[in-house]
Amino acid sequence: MKNGSILGLFALVACFLLISFAAAQDPGDSAAQITVSSVDVNPGVFFEGDTGIITIDVVNNGPESVAIRRATIYDSDISVLSSSYDTTTTVGAGNSMQFTFTVKADVPPGIYYPSFSLDFRDAGYLRYPVQIRVENDPLEISVVDKPDTYSAGRKDQIDIMVGNPRDNPVGSVIVNFRGKSIDPAPSSYFIGTLNPDQAQKISFNITPGEQTSLDIIVDYKNGVNPHTSLVTLPVRFGESKKQAEPILSNIIVEYGDGKYTLTGDVTNAGLEVANSVVLSVGDGAEPVNPYREYVVGSLQPDDFASFEITFLAENTTQVQVLVNYRDIDGNPSMRTTPVVIPPKTSAKEKSPGVATPVIAVILISAALIGGAIWYSWKKR
Amino acid sequence: MKGMLPSLLLRPDTFFSERTKEPESLKIPGIIVIIGAIVAAAASYLNSGIYEGLITAAAGEGMASMLGILYAVLGFFAFIIIWWVVFAGIFYLLSMAFAGSGTFKRTLEFAGYGLVPVIIGSVISLLVLLYYLPMIEVPVISNIQDPAAIQRFMSEFLEDPAFREFTQIYAIISAIFLAWSANLWIFGIKHARTLSFRNAIIVVLVPVVIFMIYTLYMAFIGTPFSGGL
Repeated sequence: MKNGSILGLFALVACFLLISFAAAQDPGDSAAQITVSSVDVNPGVFFEGDTGIITIDVVNNGPESVAIRRATIYDSDISVLSSSYDTTTTVGAGNSMQFTFTVKADVPPGIYYPSFSLDFRDAGYLRYPVQIRVENDPLEISVVDKPDTYSAGRKDQIDIMVGNPRDNPVGSVIVNFRGKSIDPAPSSYFIGTLNPDQAQKISFNITPGEQTSLDIIVDYKNGVNPHTSLVTLPVRFGESKKQAEPILSNIIVEYGDGKYTLTGDVTNAGLEVANSVVLSVGDGAEPVNPYREYVVGSLQPDDFASFEITFLAENTTQVQVLVNYRDIDGNPSMRTTPVVIPPKTSAKEKSPGVATPVIAVILISAALIGGAIWYSWKKR
Repeated sequence: MKGMLPSLLLRPDTFFSERTKEPESLKIPGIIVIIGAIVAAAASYLNSGIYEGLITAAAGEGMASMLGILYAVLGFFAFIIIWWVVFAGIFYLLSMAFAGSGTFKRTLEFAGYGLVPVIIGSVISLLVLLYYLPMIEVPVISNIQDPAAIQRFMSEFLEDPAFREFTQIYAIISAIFLAWSANLWIFGIKHARTLSFRNAIIVVLVPVVIFMIYTLYMAFIGTPFSGGL
């Protein structure tokens, strides 16, 4: 019996010791309950000098609470702008906790791994490297289509593509157009978010008033950091290679009925359609009825139409024939053609002369009347 | 009625002497004057075509055709009033200075008979006008509201050789036939107002010569004009 009591006591002590041992287990085991569940870096890819936010979620997977004494992030290259978490907190069993750090990437392009450090109150710590990528690839602006030349007051269309070559989306993308006397339409273009490897086509018109430069500026944000891409296009005036080209031919100028009548053909020798073709006379002539102006209308390339205009011209041998027309966008153009006019070889210069019958009538009438008068006086 | 016209034109003294024995009547003179007025209206209508461009520029196509009719009506009544009533009135008034007797109706009647040569002259003038009309180049007026354009229009129009020539021939024909009418009027007024030949010649020739000189002056020296007889 005595031996049995001793054995029972020994067993009790042994259990107690086992329980105590279990309760006083290694602090490293408690720390092992805490794991990093997610890491979010915004922006996903930094520009050099960008400021961003790193958000780290940790979760306690163990059955007991874990006390955290300090949470911080550090790196020899990446600057951490926010303070570390120095207040002791406890993460309950099965709970999670979020830590947010503001960093600034004042580093050359590359991949960096600042360390997230979690120090536990009792013992142990957690180290977790966070990947930060730094790239300096800006948004790409490609000019897809533009006129060869521009004209003062003429509206021309320009097509561009804005592409995102980065590995992260950029937001608040706005395209602005700047330049002296360019009158852009629309004045700006809002794209919004541009995802990686995505491109957006934009068409806009400009109506330059003078030769200048057009700046196409794309403003966007990488996270909270504003950035700009810029492309400059020269706006030089000149004749378009494809524009409509109304040529006058078969011109005949005649004077009659007190006015000049000019007839001819107008042919579109250009590669684009000429709309609203109107012919009139310019310097040296004064338009008169019935054809003060002649409306031809639309002329397709290689098409022609006949026209007739009437005018007066004094003390000149040459007049200007104006051909006004518009392109497909309604931009007005004018072409001037000098035309030599003949002198007024009308009846004004060649007197009809008194016709013989008229003279005969007058003479016979005078003779008969004279005879009648003489007779009437003789026979009174 | 038979043989009236040769008697009037060749033996006016006898013709008007016989008329004075008959009651005053404006029937035949009225017919003569209306025939003359119709010829004048036709000439005026043709003349209006010359100004068609000007009127069209000023008031449009509709007004241009309306103007031709208006011109004809004016020519019709102008002939009656000027050539018959006015001339008869002048003869009547001037003959009063020579103590002429006789009613105005008789003067009007004989003045109407005396218009026969003028009407013959009008018909000839109308034929001459038809000959010259296609040759007359009417200038085009560029802007009816521009005084300079109107002045240029008138200047070019009046300088047109065909128009000038027609005006001069018209004046000569008018003068020749007016002289014939004056001859008839002398005899007519002599009988209508019981005047001596000398006084009748003065009464008739004073207004006729003035009118003739004015017509020839305007045609050859002054500003030409156009219109029916």
